[in-house]
Amino acid sequence: MPGRSVSFYISLGVVFVYCAVALFAPAIAPFDPFAISGSPLAPPDAAHILGTNDLAQDIFSRLVWGTRATLILGFLGAAISVALGTFGGIVSGYYGGRVDEAIMRFLDVMMTIPSFPLLLILTIFFRPGIYMTAVLMGFLGGLQGVRIIRSQVLSLAVADFVVGTKALGAGDGYIMARHILPNVLPLVGVKFIFSAQHFMVVGIGLGFLGMGDPAVVDWGQMIQRATQNGGIILGLWWWLIPPGLAVTFLSLALAWFGYAFEDRINPRLQVMRV
Amino acid sequence: MRAAYILRRLLYSAAAFGISVTIAFALLHFMPGDYITQYLEQIYVIAPPEIVRAYNRVYGLDRPLIEQYFSYFLGVLQGDWGYSLSYSRPVLAVIGEKLVWTLVIILPATVLAIIVGIVVGAYSGWKRGSKIDLALLNGMIFLRAIPSYWLALMILLIFAYYLGLFPLGGYVGLSALDTGIDPLDVMNHAALPIFTLFLFSVTGTYYLMRNSMLMTAGEDYIVTARAKGLDELTILRKHALRNAMLPMVTSIALECAGMITGSIFVETIFSWPGLGMLTFEALKVRDIPLLQGILLIDTLLVIVANIAADLIYPLVDPRVEVGDGART
Amino acid sequence: MTTEEPLLEVRGLTVGFPTVDGLVKAANTVDLEIRPGETLALLGETGSGKTVLGMAILRLLQPNTRIEGEILYRGRNLLSLSEGEMQKIRGREIAVVLQNTGTSLNPVLRVGDQIAEAVTLHRGLRGGDAEAAAVTLLDRVRIFDPARMAREYPHRFSGGMRERALIALALACEPSFLIADEPTRGLDAVTKREILDLFSEINPGRSVLFITHDIEAAATLAVRVAVMYAGEIVEIGPVDAVLSSPVHPYTRGLLASLPERGMRPIPGSSPSLITLPPGCRFSPRCTRAVGRCKKEHPELVEVGPDHDARCMYYD
Repeated sequence: MPGRSVSFYISLGVVFVYCAVALFAPAIAPFDPFAISGSPLAPPDAAHILGTNDLAQDIFSRLVWGTRATLILGFLGAAISVALGTFGGIVSGYYGGRVDEAIMRFLDVMMTIPSFPLLLILTIFFRPGIYMTAVLMGFLGGLQGVRIIRSQVLSLAVADFVVGTKALGAGDGYIMARHILPNVLPLVGVKFIFSAQHFMVVGIGLGFLGMGDPAVVDWGQMIQRATQNGGIILGLWWWLIPPGLAVTFLSLALAWFGYAFEDRINPRLQVMRV
Repeated sequence: MRAAYILRRLLYSAAAFGISVTIAFALLHFMPGDYITQYLEQIYVIAPPEIVRAYNRVYGLDRPLIEQYFSYFLGVLQGDWGYSLSYSRPVLAVIGEKLVWTLVIILPATVLAIIVGIVVGAYSGWKRGSKIDLALLNGMIFLRAIPSYWLALMILLIFAYYLGLFPLGGYVGLSALDTGIDPLDVMNHAALPIFTLFLFSVTGTYYLMRNSMLMTAGEDYIVTARAKGLDELTILRKHALRNAMLPMVTSIALECAGMITGSIFVETIFSWPGLGMLTFEALKVRDIPLLQGILLIDTLLVIVANIAADLIYPLVDPRVEVGDGART
Repeated sequence: MTTEEPLLEVRGLTVGFPTVDGLVKAANTVDLEIRPGETLALLGETGSGKTVLGMAILRLLQPNTRIEGEILYRGRNLLSLSEGEMQKIRGREIAVVLQNTGTSLNPVLRVGDQIAEAVTLHRGLRGGDAEAAAVTLLDRVRIFDPARMAREYPHRFSGGMRERALIALALACEPSFLIADEPTRGLDAVTKREILDLFSEINPGRSVLFITHDIEAAATLAVRVAVMYAGEIVEIGPVDAVLSSPVHPYTRGLLASLPERGMRPIPGSSPSLITLPPGCRFSPRCTRAVGRCKKEHPELVEVGPDHDARCMYYD
């Protein structure tokens, strides 16, 4: 597709901007995100460029600080998910036989339980917290990732260079780490980007459902406050729109980046897809 | 063997349901700080000990754990899904009532999403690489990246708040107090939630159908059809569409779980009184027995969708014969 | 030899497929004519471009394929026809039996319906009449109990039966020109013999392009033989002349690799169609190649009556 290379850099740039905002949040935010900083429900003005919420907290400052939670949820969740999926997929695909059979049957059963309601219940069980949420999302997402990596590994495990290395007396661990892993890494990279996008959206969704960490500012809790405390009835756009717009924009950037990255590492795929 | 396959799937489904029940039970009983105390803390500042004791007796918490597990398991199978703390009614009764309202918006949205997704996806895949295909593909990628709760909120703001075309939420207007529930009024309230769920779900169907069509378009029997002298539209309609739809049957069942997730957000934003908003409310007050019930009903819905797909598949693919070995 | 106008004439046909790795030159300035009523066997190994040539005639190649040259059918250039005009020729004037019998029938439609579809399209028969015509066609290609088999789906058919069904489909409108792409591939010896018999039986007076890698099958059916190598015709002539006194080293090699002639395979393998060798394309594998063969590209020259070859030794 023409322009894929352009969208690669633009989307990457947007993600970097979000990272920078998260990193320099204390410098960028004019107010403490929890402090009462004026009158409640004030529309945007020079001091509060996005106005204030019902608790008279500065919405712009909360938005800036909320970037941190979003990025932690997305990238930590994706890292755990991808690590688990890659490990499980390589072990399952490489050993095959009973190990593979056992892992696959376990996944068959787990896939029947809808993962989002399960995530909600596990979050309550382990108590809402931003790191715990990332771990739980990563764990459940990793289960789904196993299958994708496994199908790649299945063909690699019988490839000549693997069989040849095995014939030379190399151990299983060595082959998996030095020969299989590097071959699935591009796929893992793509999976990481899309997982991060997904977990940001889901993690903020959890905050919206009241499963957020009360000690942390996150966009989901901001949307929850706005929708549940009269923002819709009063039509207070500066309260309702910014957090959702921020996550939507980031989600779009990551999705674009994912597709562009996929094309980059696999030009054949591009020919096939288009 | 098809029969053996269905039997195996039923076994997995039973196992999954069993695991759901076990998770639900574990959640209830291993939660740090028991849930009765947690719940009562929301009502009383310090719960009187006799009330705590009474609750524990009613919910069976004074008996040995293993006994509680088996009696819970048996109870679930017999339709006793526990007692909701916030509704003070049996969980199954509350869920049954809300499930109907969820189906009112989920079913039309799913049917619409399947039809539109299949038609547009098939066309896009058939015309792969064309301008219209690329426009559709990029549009769908864009739509898919928008979080469902944000999509719902924007649709609500635009169509209900600013344009005033639809009500701001709920399922009936105030007039229902005098005149009773009017189906037309309900439809008016359901329109935006259905539209949002449709948008949420159509991207997935489109994507699957487009991919499936890309594969089908390269098949030899399509060349055969073309070599007969058929025109492109007939080939698409008579030869490609049905084959490309085969893998969709199973995929659509999987999308069912996505619909459950979507309905939680959409119903919460639109204050639609279904299972999704029930989930939100149960989360808010930590009504654990109710949440257990919701996990179980969600699992059952996915299981039912999967079984339906298994039963429908042989009807659309002649190569698979029920009770007979599949010949290739 | 005949002085009749050819039914189909291919002139300077060049076909290229763009890929990530470069342009695959599947056919290069191919000249070929098929005369009324004759069976021409197109002989070559996998990847020589013989299937591409057959598909190019019916314009059934992928849309992004680059095609140059002319394909004249009854004097009309098929490459310049509109898609609608082409659809009227496909199936009615020129029909094809595709090479992958296992996948060339639509798995979700009954075999009889797939044949009836062509009958309806080109002969205007509807409903029961079209079905009856399909049963007659299945009977003609010797399918046992055709009325019952017409109602079956393709997965119920064996490999040989699918081949027959595809032939019945191709014959649905009595085309004047039939392209058969490897109809004997993957069949056991007995079934292969039956299919070859069927071909000689159904095609009196019909022009046939018989694409095959099977020399024996070519000898059985063909009047003339064209040998393809790396996208080019290297030898063409009457079947007796080409098979009994081959001129091109590649044809000789092919014949020498037959089991009854000592089964001596040609050393080396076909060149990549992306980076073709300069000069004669067979020169890297040719035992008789001299310096000139590696530099100059030989033309097709007459080596006997109606018999041409592309080799420096006859230039």
